[in-house]
Amino acid sequence: MMTQRRQSDALIVGAGASGAVAAARLAAAGFEVVCLEQGDWTGPADYMSDRPEAELAWVERWSPDPNVRRGPADYPLTGEADVRPVMYNGVGGGLVQWAAMWQPLLASDFRVRTLDGVSDDWPIGWSDLAAPYGRVAREMSVSGLGGDPALPELDPYPNPPIPIGRIGLAAARGMDRLGWHWWPGANAIASRRHRSLQACQRRGTCMLGCPENAKATPSLTHWPAALAAGAQLVTGARVAQIPLDERGRARGAVYVDRDGVERLEPAQVVILAANAVGTARLLLLSASPRFPDGLANSSGLVGRRLMQHPYRTVAAVCEDPLDSWQGPWGQSIYSLEFAETHPDRDFVRGAKWMVMPHGGPMFAVAEYQEAHRHEDFETLWGPSFHRAAAEVFGHAFTWGIQAEDLPEDHNRVVLDPAVCDSSGLPAAQIEYTVSDNTRRMLDFNVARAVEAAEAAGAVSTYVRDIWPTGIGHVLGTTRMGDDPQGSVVDRWCRAHDVANLYMIDGGVFVTGGSANPTATIMANARRVVDHMIEARASQEVPA
Amino acid sequence: MSDSGPTPDQRLTLARLADVLVAEGLGMPAASAVGVADGLLDRCLDAAPALAEPLLALLDEVPADDLDAFVRGLAARRPDDFAILTTTVVGAYYLSAEVRELIGYPGQQPSPLSAAAEPEYFEMLERVYDRHPGYRECP
Repeated sequence: MMTQRRQSDALIVGAGASGAVAAARLAAAGFEVVCLEQGDWTGPADYMSDRPEAELAWVERWSPDPNVRRGPADYPLTGEADVRPVMYNGVGGGLVQWAAMWQPLLASDFRVRTLDGVSDDWPIGWSDLAAPYGRVAREMSVSGLGGDPALPELDPYPNPPIPIGRIGLAAARGMDRLGWHWWPGANAIASRRHRSLQACQRRGTCMLGCPENAKATPSLTHWPAALAAGAQLVTGARVAQIPLDERGRARGAVYVDRDGVERLEPAQVVILAANAVGTARLLLLSASPRFPDGLANSSGLVGRRLMQHPYRTVAAVCEDPLDSWQGPWGQSIYSLEFAETHPDRDFVRGAKWMVMPHGGPMFAVAEYQEAHRHEDFETLWGPSFHRAAAEVFGHAFTWGIQAEDLPEDHNRVVLDPAVCDSSGLPAAQIEYTVSDNTRRMLDFNVARAVEAAEAAGAVSTYVRDIWPTGIGHVLGTTRMGDDPQGSVVDRWCRAHDVANLYMIDGGVFVTGGSANPTATIMANARRVVDHMIEARASQEVPA
Repeated sequence: MSDSGPTPDQRLTLARLADVLVAEGLGMPAASAVGVADGLLDRCLDAAPALAEPLLALLDEVPADDLDAFVRGLAARRPDDFAILTTTVVGAYYLSAEVRELIGYPGQQPSPLSAAAEPEYFEMLERVYDRHPGYRECP
């Protein structure tokens, strides 16, 4: 039997990056807020990052791949995909495991159709996000250096940049020799004690949880304030459906609790913040006679246009020791040299590069082995095994190459017809192929990154092909736009079809850019929620 | 992992397989010499319990002789099983304090930030600023 609570002002589905921003802001503005999160709290007691076995955490418990991790809150991701999404389900969402790279979009990312004749323009521009970028950067205790000429002016970051370290200096010297763009990386990692964060201790286990609490994650940066302002966060609550009233307004959410009991959480406004896979899945699960193809899907675009930033790496192996197991595992430096369209290249748009550490010995050897997997057994194993560690461990840095993949309708999230999660809800099936444009873009950029590595003094390099599991960037499945026939939500991220239903995660991205998306996801959530507060009096609500 | 963990025979088999993968060389000990099939294996499987079942099943099918051919066969034809074996062996090997000392790895230890050695990059950064055309203007 379904149980029901009293109606809140705003119901948020998902306690990750965007959901946390919304909860904190709305609660501070006096809204009665409830957030439903299918996962649980994760904190230092759960981390393996301060144990000698830290590198083994990747294998299973802290794998970014929910199909490997198989936590109680994880739902299966099925289907044939060139790149399979990864995510974390719990309070903080993907920011529990993120590398904390903080990268605003380029100004041109909002005008791709106008400038480059492909894809679509966003209904908003860079200036609409300028102020929210600054606000959320302060909330996230970002450490960085302003003034990058490749970007419009930003508010100063609240903390000075994290030292770029030996790996960053080596890479920067290479870029300097080539005359290419680079800039010290901005990261949501505190370079000094700031707000709820402690100073980074360079442990290098950022993606396994920071035991020093130096990495920003919503359980530290947003949820304490949201809860103190009265927001309610219900964990272990897997949302199964968004029901409608007879006028087509969202009534709230039906969810399954830890005991398998189905409950209705009623609300005046429903805000989906479950990431671009989870939100699309929930809309498809919420099909009804009024919306037979999925809730808010009159455009047919729910679940389509999935983007993931296909990713390759170039390892630069240097003679001098770089101590490259040390962190932080954010971005030491980044480059936007090849992020824009250039008429002489055989692809449109571009890629962002970032320098990162190369891990402990297990990670370093695994990377080497993967890049050389087609070589003879004798080259990689037996007495030769030690050669990889001797040459690479502590002596290599990584150029990560993150490609802008343009939205394509056939890259999509659908419901799996057979596989279900532990609550009996259909799994998310991913259909995703990497386009020829993206492959050419990555080939070009990898070749340039090899040149950059050599200019940095690398004695050898090795490259990895496109990573078959993603890097946690899922975008585009509920795109925003002014035209209801060509978009799912409007410029305020309200569903064209349902007047009190909002979507605020990365699904609303029109194009993906090449930047790590969290800064934009959080800034956009802040922009949307500020507008919700201003427009509160005119908000339509269910009967 | 079974309640009792790997049997002595399974440990012995793993030690022999591990030495095919990580042999003595370049001043480094072989895998079995540092206890990859002993206490390090237990620590490895405690950290990644999902390795245990497929690993132990794999060990039970290893022939008594020609281990080298068996391992090569895994590498060539059974990549998932080969990955289970190599992840276990390499993961356990680098848990060894002796191995860590030999390669100069202190583990993922805390180390306070220091910007003392970095002012040199500001000169390079000025050159970035000077030569960059500026961001692409948009309508």
